[in-house]
Amino acid sequence: MTSRRTPTAPEEPSSNEPPPGSIADTYREVMPLVSFDAAMTKGDDVALTIPSDAIHEVLERGRDDERLQMNLLRNQTAVDWEERGLEIVYHLYSIPLRQAVTIKSWLPSEGAVVESVTDIYAMADWAERECREMFGIEFIGHPDPRNLLLDEDLDIHPLRKSHPLAPIEMEQGVDVEFFTKQHPPPEPAEEEAAEPEAAAAAAPERKRLEDMTEEEREQRRAEQAERVARARELAAVRRAERLAGAPPAGGPRPEGAAPPPRPAAAPAAAPAAEAAPASAPARDDRPPAPPPPELPTIPDAEEDPEGRAAAQAERVRLGRELAAARRAQLRGG
Amino acid sequence: MVQQTFEGEVLTEPVVVEREFETVDMNINIGPQHPATHGVFRMVLTVDGEIVKDAIPYIGYMHRGGEKLSENLDYRGALGYQDRTDYLAAFNSEWVYVNAVERLAGIEIPERAEYVRLILAEFNRLLSHFMFMGAFGTDVGYFGTAFTWTFKERERIQDLFEAVCGDRIMYNYFRVGGLAWQPHETFVEDSHWVLDQVEVGIGDIDDLMTNNEVFVARCRDVGAMSAEDAISFGVTGPMLRASGVPFDLRVDEPYSIYDRFHWEIPVGERGDVYDRYLVRLEEMRQSVTILRQALDQMPTSGPIEPERMPARLRPAPGEIYMRQENPRGEYGIYMVSDGTDKPWRVKMRSPCFHNLSSLKPQVINTYLADAVVALGSIDIVLCEVDR
Repeated sequence: MTSRRTPTAPEEPSSNEPPPGSIADTYREVMPLVSFDAAMTKGDDVALTIPSDAIHEVLERGRDDERLQMNLLRNQTAVDWEERGLEIVYHLYSIPLRQAVTIKSWLPSEGAVVESVTDIYAMADWAERECREMFGIEFIGHPDPRNLLLDEDLDIHPLRKSHPLAPIEMEQGVDVEFFTKQHPPPEPAEEEAAEPEAAAAAAPERKRLEDMTEEEREQRRAEQAERVARARELAAVRRAERLAGAPPAGGPRPEGAAPPPRPAAAPAAAPAAEAAPASAPARDDRPPAPPPPELPTIPDAEEDPEGRAAAQAERVRLGRELAAARRAQLRGG
Repeated sequence: MVQQTFEGEVLTEPVVVEREFETVDMNINIGPQHPATHGVFRMVLTVDGEIVKDAIPYIGYMHRGGEKLSENLDYRGALGYQDRTDYLAAFNSEWVYVNAVERLAGIEIPERAEYVRLILAEFNRLLSHFMFMGAFGTDVGYFGTAFTWTFKERERIQDLFEAVCGDRIMYNYFRVGGLAWQPHETFVEDSHWVLDQVEVGIGDIDDLMTNNEVFVARCRDVGAMSAEDAISFGVTGPMLRASGVPFDLRVDEPYSIYDRFHWEIPVGERGDVYDRYLVRLEEMRQSVTILRQALDQMPTSGPIEPERMPARLRPAPGEIYMRQENPRGEYGIYMVSDGTDKPWRVKMRSPCFHNLSSLKPQVINTYLADAVVALGSIDIVLCEVDR
């Protein structure tokens, strides 16, 4: 698992300034009061960064002005740059004039609010709904801000970098209780039939958002926020560890911030010999699995071709033996 | 008004009672599992009698978080995911992705690989449109005939793909920098043979459907959309061209080697379901034209990948929005690199997603049966809508 370093990407837009006479100049002519930071993308498009309060005006006048005629909003999305905030991106195209432009703007990570452009482009309706649920950006003036792709009850923002991804993130030591808590295992059927009220009282039922009272909603939001904060803290610690080069499972955990890791999650990066018995705790009557044997290292083909073949054959033999032993163990013998 | 019974008895003029009846709007739920929705798509229609008054579409049943997954895999690892978005045009989707990575990393690919990619993608367009004809024929009441006739041709193309890459649906044949391996030796001859058969097949579909009275009655003036509406909804591909806008990325923003061929962009007039069908039918003929030219021009031998490729791709920080003309419209990959071996952000711009969002104005104040036809004419692939 390779570590991901903190992004430093679009800090230096000065090096790839678009050529004079490009569409950036047209935008500056049409809207002299708005500040446009222009840069060329790798796809030879002009990307203009504008203040977030000017988005609606720039898009509306870009569509209506005769020199621009940006009548097609072809794509709308956002990028989470973590500490540096969110970047909202609009890809525009003018079908009559055959010119493309990318409009971008920076938003704060928490409490990002932007004016909806659904009154300019009908396409923005679904695009903004998706952007809202995936990144947590609020669009002021959107006619129908429900979840689109996610469950209507879910109040999470999966495309944020702070949102853990199981199981890849689980290997990295991130707490994935986040997911499992939302869906508790169902109660046994006969118990529920015998005393439904007691079962209902014992297991807190999962109410839909619209059935809740305002207090319950507040409580649920607080719970979710707490879980997100915990996962975020843990992810930050893990990221720092990886950047420092420490092994993922060995680093310190924030005290009291995270529950002890589940047995399957913690030793994933530990040696396989430890992980094998820990990963099968379900059936206690079984004998512990045999530890995997020491595998010979394979030498380089150019240096020692015969030794390489021998080592590979040895590895295959050991692997077969191990598989046979595991099979025998599974059969109970 | 005089009415006469069968026996010849003349009845008096019937008395017409004018009276306001109180009607109640009814909600009808269609889907998510319903053959007319072409996948797991659900819509709640409010109907007054047989007239649709409101439509609320629900999507997301197939949402697998492909963008998040792609951001956690390296640049080559996420390629297989592209087959799983638009599974009816997997070559086209793969092509956009590898093109995005190549332009981000500044990799030049050999000419032969470019030709093979283009040929396979155009064949895939044919395959996808054949699939549309079959499924759409089923929607308007040709159950059986259209499906089997079009699948016969689709099968030939799939056999060709199987010979090239060993798979019939999830090809995973394109690579960053070129192709996985050389196509088989008789690729060009096989392709010409398939094209001969396919041309006959297109004519068959034309004969079967285009002038059929029932088909025309079901499709004419159904789901009509003006050019302005279509553009505002971000509709692209054959649907937009049916509304009279000659917008085709192969011509308007030419990518790859499309500027070496001569063909025409079919355009509709009314923007209704029938025009969408006609545009797709003509597009198939144009695809055959492109394919014939490409097969003649293709170098018969040569490398299919660059001589040197980095073992691990680490493109310099930057961004790209790569867009290409898929059978359903503009498929785009917005990719942001932060200098590591994984993309920082991958956004898939799915044509079906935006084409489907224009369904609501198409079906309001039409008959319920026409709503199904309008939905079918969008040619949705729900895996691509939900990603």
